[in-house]
Amino acid sequence: MAKYKIVHYINNFFSGAGGEEAAGMRPEVHEGAMGPGLALLEAFGEDYEIAATVVCGDNYFGENLEDATAELLSMIEPFKPDLFIAGPAFNAGRYGVACGTICKAVEKELGIPVLTGMYEENPGVDMFRKDLIVIKTKNSAAGMRKAVPVFKNLGEKLVKGEEILGPDIEGYLERGIRVNYFAEKRGSERAIELLVKKCRGEECPTEYPMPKFDRVEPTAPVTDMAHTKIAIVTSGGIVPQGNPDHIESSSATKYGIYSIAGMERMDKKDFMTVHGGYDRAFVTEDPNLVIPLDVLREMEKEGVIGELADYFITTTGTGTATGNAKAFGEDFVGKLKEDGIGAVILTST
Amino acid sequence: MKLELGKIYIRDVQFAEKTYVKDGTLYVCKEEIEKLVLEDERLTGARVELARPGESVRISPVKDVIEPRVKVEGNGAVFPGVIGKVGQVGEGRTHALVGATVITCGKIVGFQEGVIDMSGPTAKYTPFSQTNNVCVVIEPADGLETHDYEAAGRMAGLKTAVYVAEAAKNLVPDEIVTYETKPLLEQIAQYPDLPKIGYVHMLQSQGLLHDTYYYGVDAKKFIPTIMYPTEIMDGAIVSGNCVAPCDKVTTYHHLNNPVIEDLYQHHGKDLNFVGVILTNENVFLADKERHSDMVAKLAKYLGLDGLLITEEGYGNPDTDLMMNCKKVTQAGVKVVIITDEFPGRDGKSYSLADAVPEADTMVSCGQGNLIVHFPPMDKLIGTMDYVESQIGGYAGCMNEDGSFDAELQIIIASTIANGFNKLAARTY
Amino acid sequence: MVTNNVRCLEKWEGKLQIDYNEEWAYLDVLLAARDYIHRGYFLLTHPLAGSVKPNQTPFKSIILSEESLEGAEDFRDLTLIEESIEAYHKFMGNRPLPEWSEKSVEDFRTIDLSLMEGVMANPIMNRR
Repeated sequence: MAKYKIVHYINNFFSGAGGEEAAGMRPEVHEGAMGPGLALLEAFGEDYEIAATVVCGDNYFGENLEDATAELLSMIEPFKPDLFIAGPAFNAGRYGVACGTICKAVEKELGIPVLTGMYEENPGVDMFRKDLIVIKTKNSAAGMRKAVPVFKNLGEKLVKGEEILGPDIEGYLERGIRVNYFAEKRGSERAIELLVKKCRGEECPTEYPMPKFDRVEPTAPVTDMAHTKIAIVTSGGIVPQGNPDHIESSSATKYGIYSIAGMERMDKKDFMTVHGGYDRAFVTEDPNLVIPLDVLREMEKEGVIGELADYFITTTGTGTATGNAKAFGEDFVGKLKEDGIGAVILTST
Repeated sequence: MKLELGKIYIRDVQFAEKTYVKDGTLYVCKEEIEKLVLEDERLTGARVELARPGESVRISPVKDVIEPRVKVEGNGAVFPGVIGKVGQVGEGRTHALVGATVITCGKIVGFQEGVIDMSGPTAKYTPFSQTNNVCVVIEPADGLETHDYEAAGRMAGLKTAVYVAEAAKNLVPDEIVTYETKPLLEQIAQYPDLPKIGYVHMLQSQGLLHDTYYYGVDAKKFIPTIMYPTEIMDGAIVSGNCVAPCDKVTTYHHLNNPVIEDLYQHHGKDLNFVGVILTNENVFLADKERHSDMVAKLAKYLGLDGLLITEEGYGNPDTDLMMNCKKVTQAGVKVVIITDEFPGRDGKSYSLADAVPEADTMVSCGQGNLIVHFPPMDKLIGTMDYVESQIGGYAGCMNEDGSFDAELQIIIASTIANGFNKLAARTY
Repeated sequence: MVTNNVRCLEKWEGKLQIDYNEEWAYLDVLLAARDYIHRGYFLLTHPLAGSVKPNQTPFKSIILSEESLEGAEDFRDLTLIEESIEAYHKFMGNRPLPEWSEKSVEDFRTIDLSLMEGVMANPIMNRR
């Protein structure tokens, strides 16, 4: 019997090419298994083979999402795999986003089952959990040993078209898909039991969690815009040409503060966007679409706003962990206060 | 109020020269029912057919399902203000033909009526595959206006149920269950150490084909009020609506409200069931705000520690559900809500049309977007002409052999949002 | 009233300010209502009133007012309309609106009209 074929995706680090210094490497294809693939190969046993391993640098992938995906697809396709595995990415954010992106593309374009694995706080999880089966791993490569049998079980089930059970049973991260089942007791009885517990102050787990309400109470409106100094803060990924501080195109770990002193509008010769989450064509042509400097300068002249700060603060929103985003804000709010900024305009994409 | 419910268990249904019950079999006189239904000149056709559990029978499009009940002792008559004279019900003794129902079906505008399969893979989703059903297939007079037709259909079902239930009047019940709720202060004093629990029963009341009646009063025209739980068992609430079939609260489900039934089971053990607050699901936001304020006020006024809330329908009612939940919680009363879900065909979207953080304890009655297959059946009661346009059906869903595919939504009471069924949804 | 139901227009033209467009799909009515809310109007009726799901009926009518009849929380109406738009996309993504026969289309006009007749009969409408 012919063996089932697997193609495996890993990043620069796990291929042994190196860490940050190799993160710019372009896609490569290697016959057979390498790195973490060796452990997978052993676990899957003799009915399976890892036909090829495709490798790409995390930065290259992040900065060239579409090109990298297309290049990788063209490398994977000739092997006619039965299963595609990416990672696991553990807690590496850019790697997680790359694994999710390539898995989704392979599933869509090649129509074969795909699997990846991540630590639950990896930003790639929230981006892809609804689309993919993401196996739950520890936060570092030390968790590989435990993850391998889960990859094997789920991989086999996917290849053979067997039913995938619930996340806790199978060991993947909850996908947010609502599936029917027949409970032991009817709904009214379960509700009454929960209510009795709730009245006693005991734990009463809901059967359907409401969406998260991470809302910030709005502050009082600005009463006198004509005498207020305004700053622009964006998650739209606008940076000076050349991206001097290397802000990531997704899963940002930093933000930048850049001058607009003396400028009447955002000139495409001076600014670009590195954001990996939307079609950049229009903004590349006209960065004012994300940083509306042209309009704000007019308002400044007309006296609608008091003054515009001579810089803007920027990062990339896509895939960026909420924790990071929060930390950025806490970090730069001090500067805004020091500079006498009375209000900020937040632009997204 | 104290009500004895005398249950006469029905295990089979047959046609006969007259209507009576013998040895667990309900015998019905077809001609008498047809004559009764045709007394209403708005209807020009009435045909009675029988459907029993396990038979290869499909019933569609179903309007209402009613359990035959008759008042034996005590004030009033079943369905007060609609069939019976207006008068207080909920006390004395009532007999029920448990395991039998009257089902109305036939053409209607609105396409919000559903399907019941008596056997096969979809039978498990509806409670009425387990009952012996007397089906009345009605035909409207030519050009009959929609509301009139709805009203005529509703009356045909209720009249038939009352007619059939007469057979139970002089029988000795197989089982008698006693339900009692005392006046508020006495009730609280009876179990002073148990949490005082209430139930907010939200009645569908959006208008046209979405109405519910309490003692004959259109629910969209009342303000929230307090009801003894036993009143509902005598038919104080009648369904007059055709929302999505899956979460339709039929008159049967009002008579057999599962929250009330189960609260009585717990009464005196781990809780003190104090009473029911009735409210509605109007389309005006002002009504919603006012009535949810009143629900919270009544909950507080009754001194409740906790309450359950159920809704009927999707969309508009979700807002009432959330407003009620929020305001009652803010009044310091613990809440558990019961509802069904519509997360889209892939199950990935948010299940409700509204949300508040206070809705932190919810029980699921399953998701209605799941596609299920309906194999061909030997016999059809009603018509399949509308299947493609009924909620849950779609163009091309019907096959030559009489089989079809449709969303679970099309099955009567499959995800009914009051916890009657065991169906639930969980997250994968 | 924002509506795409000609029978609502016929019935209440001159009595209500009616924003009617025959070309509007269900979604366009929701969007038009959303735009009114952004301009300071308040919802009088729930955007999903009727519980006929958005992929079932082509017709929608919503009544708004320049004055709020109740002390609603800020953003209530905006949240409601956005949730309704989201629900619309969910159901349409599930299964688009069928190609109804003219007979069925007329039935859906009737349903929408009757729902609005119920609404117009509410004493709340006299308060404006």
